[in-house]
Formats: sequence, C-alpha cells, structure tokens
Amino acid sequence: MDKLMDLWHASGVYNITGGQAFMILIGLLLLFLAIRKNFEPLLLVPIGFGGILANIPEAGLAMSAVENAIHLGGPEMLSNLAAALHISSTEPEALKHAYHLADSASHTAAVYAANDHGFNNGMLYNFYLVAIASGAAPLIIFMGVGAMTDFGPLLANPKTLFLGAAAQFGIFATIMGAVGLTTLGLMDFTIQDAAAIGIIGGADGPTAIYVASLLAPDLLGAIAVAAYSYMALVPLIQPPIMRALTTEAERKISMVQLRHVPKTEKIMFPIVLLILVALLLPDAAPLLGMFCFGNLMRECGVVDRLSDTAQNALINIVTIFLGLSVGSKLSADKFLDIQTLGILVLGVIAFGIGTACGVLMAKVMNKMAGGNAINPLIGSAGVSAVPMAARVSNKLGLESNSQNFLLMHAMGPNVAGVIGSAVAAGVMIKFVG
Amino acid sequence: MDNLMSEGLSLMVFGMGFVFVFLTLLVFATGIMSKLIAKVAPEAPVPAKSAPVVAVAAPAGDDELVAVMTAAVHQFRKD
Repeated sequence: MDKLMDLWHASGVYNITGGQAFMILIGLLLLFLAIRKNFEPLLLVPIGFGGILANIPEAGLAMSAVENAIHLGGPEMLSNLAAALHISSTEPEALKHAYHLADSASHTAAVYAANDHGFNNGMLYNFYLVAIASGAAPLIIFMGVGAMTDFGPLLANPKTLFLGAAAQFGIFATIMGAVGLTTLGLMDFTIQDAAAIGIIGGADGPTAIYVASLLAPDLLGAIAVAAYSYMALVPLIQPPIMRALTTEAERKISMVQLRHVPKTEKIMFPIVLLILVALLLPDAAPLLGMFCFGNLMRECGVVDRLSDTAQNALINIVTIFLGLSVGSKLSADKFLDIQTLGILVLGVIAFGIGTACGVLMAKVMNKMAGGNAINPLIGSAGVSAVPMAARVSNKLGLESNSQNFLLMHAMGPNVAGVIGSAVAAGVMIKFVG
Repeated sequence: MDNLMSEGLSLMVFGMGFVFVFLTLLVFATGIMSKLIAKVAPEAPVPAKSAPVVAVAAPAGDDELVAVMTAAVHQFRKD
C-alpha cells in the first residue's frame, strides 16, 4: 500500500498546479495554431511542444540543477545550498532569490552542492544554455537568413533602404509605450525590458530573441511567442493599416521594371555593409556580421555547399533547438504574469506603428519623386518579416490593379527592414545593455 | 519614474536617428559601389546574347537526333 501511495505522490495528477495545467493548454493552443492554422509552424510546433515539456510537473525539464534541488531536495539539501549561497534562511523562495542574485563564486558553489546530491540541469535548460544563453542559435539562424536573402531588388533601388529605416519607428515608439505604462504604474518594466519588448516591432524572430536574451532573459518566452505569432499574423494586421493610409490612385501606381544587378555588386554588398558596421556600430556586428557572412557565401558562388548547408540543414537543426529552448521559457511561474499581457498588447502596437510609418515614408518618397514613381504599398514591407510582408504588398497591389506585380519592388524594403532592425538592435544593446 | 521616461525618450530619438543615419550612409555607399563597379568591371553582356543562340541550336540538334534515330531504326529493321 505504501508503494502505491509513493506512486500516487510521484504522479503528475497529484503534483500538477493550476498554472502548469494552464500553460500546457497554452502549449496545445500553439500546436493547434501551427498545425491547423499553419501559423509559422516551423517555430510554433517546437515552441508549443517545448512549452508542454517545460510544464510537466516534477520532471523539472526547464529548470537548472539548483532550481531542481530547491524544488525536490530535502532539508539537508536546502541547508547545504543556503551555506553555499551565504544566507541563513532555508526557505525555497529565499534560496531562489539568492541564487538569482549570487555572484559567480557562490553561484558555482550552489551548482556543485546540487550536483553532489545528484541534481542536474533539466534537458530543456541545457538546450537553453547552449542555444540561447550563449547567443549562438539566433546568430546561426541569421547566417542562414543571410544565405537565403537576395539583395538584388535592394541594390537595384537602394532608396528603398529608407523604407526599411522608417518602419523601425515602431520599435522605438513601443519603448515609449512600455516606459509610459511603467510610469503610470500599470506595469513594471525596466528600460532594458522596454527595449526588448520594442524589438517585437522589428518583426524579426532571431533579432528579437537575441536582444531579449541579452537585455531581458526573464521576458524571453513571452517576447519570442509574441514576435512569431505576430509574424504569422502579418497578412491580417497589415492590410487594414495599408488601406487606411493610401488612396485608391496611389495603390494603382505601377513601378518601373528593376534594373539588372551584376554579380559583382551582389558580392561586394555584404562586404560594404560589414565595413560600415565595423566603422559605425560594432554592437550590431554579431547580428549583421553573421548575416553578411551568410549572404557572401550565397553570392560568391564558390562555396555553394556551405551556403546550401547554412540555408537548409543547419538552419533546420538550429530551429529545432531554438524552438524547444524558447518553449522552456513558457513555464508557469515566468509566463503567467500581467507583464505577458502587456508584452502581447505592446507587440501588436509596435507592429502597427512600424507598418504605418513605412507606408507614410513611401508616400513622402513618392511625392518627392513626382507622385507616380513609388507605390506606397511597398512601404509596409519595411518591417522585416521576409517574405510575408512583401507578399502582402503584392496582394494589395493586385487587388487595385491586376497587372501590377509589386513583389520584387517590395523585396527591397523587406530586406532593408532586416538590416534596419538589426541596426536598431545594435543601438539598443549599445545604449541600455 | 520621470527618469525612466526621459531615458526612453532619449533612446527613441537617438536610436531612430542612428538607424536613419546608418541606412542613409548605406544608400550612399551602395550607390558609390554600384557606380565604381559599372566603371571598373562592367559586366560583359555575353549571357544575354548567348540565350537566343542556344534556342536556335536546340531544334537543329533535334533534327539531327531524329535523323540518327531514323537511320538506326532502318538499320534495325533491315537486320
């Protein structure tokens, strides 16, 4: 009978908390959205599954060795940890708090104490350490994105870089939103948190994860989920804003065929960009450096094997671990918080403002160019979200004029948006990191 | 609290300003690069012209192939 009771006490049903049950439901919702609705399935399937794994009671998959020890260890374990962390209390909450604030020496001592008692990092926590805490996964994905990006449309019409710059206003406006909510006493965001939330407006998953892992690791789960969900919702969020800000006549503008871009220019562009980054903004070097490297591999034509790996096999492998690691941040104690709601709301506002600014900038450029040269619809593609945002521009253009194919014209601002959000990320890491 | 607000404001102004400065410089750098490349290493317009040649050559090759195959079939039937 005792054995039976032990089994019952070790079961999930006995141990599950309301928060965990709710988070498992959220994980299932993400899986549903990915599988049935086809929302960014490549990321939401691993994230949703990781979220479920992270909330399995007692398994501690998303917890570090010390957190597991605090949760599962006996009184002796707790007093050992208290000694390692130099505090007198053996209350679990106090220990967790001290562990988060500990300097490296006592941090390491606590980890050793936990290891001595046979507690280890959970599987997902290890993935998180390797993939995200180290900064590796978002950067490798950025390399793959670089290898997939064709700068031809941008080089044919470099002025579209301004659209990519204008659309980044969403990022910075959202920082003001987050800071404003804190000033009003509704939320409690630091300036670092605000910067990490703003980057959702860049509509660039890897950039958002990279910035969040540096500036606000606690909010990473919510930020990544918001960023990828809104990227999937681009076809729903953008069109109303684009229609509201443009006239029918403007939407009908058809643009001249882009010039042919010689191969030499495509090879030189990532190098020019890299030099500019090196001279002006070394803080953006990790992101844009990997991006340029990937693009050079694609365009130079002599390392097709490497380019192929970067844009297929490697990016797929990394995506799996990145998704699971982000999922590990969907544990109940970190995600079920009023701040998550704030992040979701601010994120969609960031997106909307970015889209609007891109369209308005395109209208200004169109006026300056004589009023019949630039279709303002391509401005919305200045938020990154490659190639979805460009497809939305194309679709709206076709609705007004069935002979008007804007896709290639919109790809210019689209890839400019990737550069723009990486630059914005570099600026924020520089100022508040 | 006001401190946080002003921090946010300066981040917005400087951040947005820097993004614009950077991308403006990139526009100029790209323009200069394109002009330089057009001058120093203009692309030979070979690929554009070679395409029609191939197009014309293909049917000719087919005729030849048909002739060879017909001959082969004849040879086979005679045997």
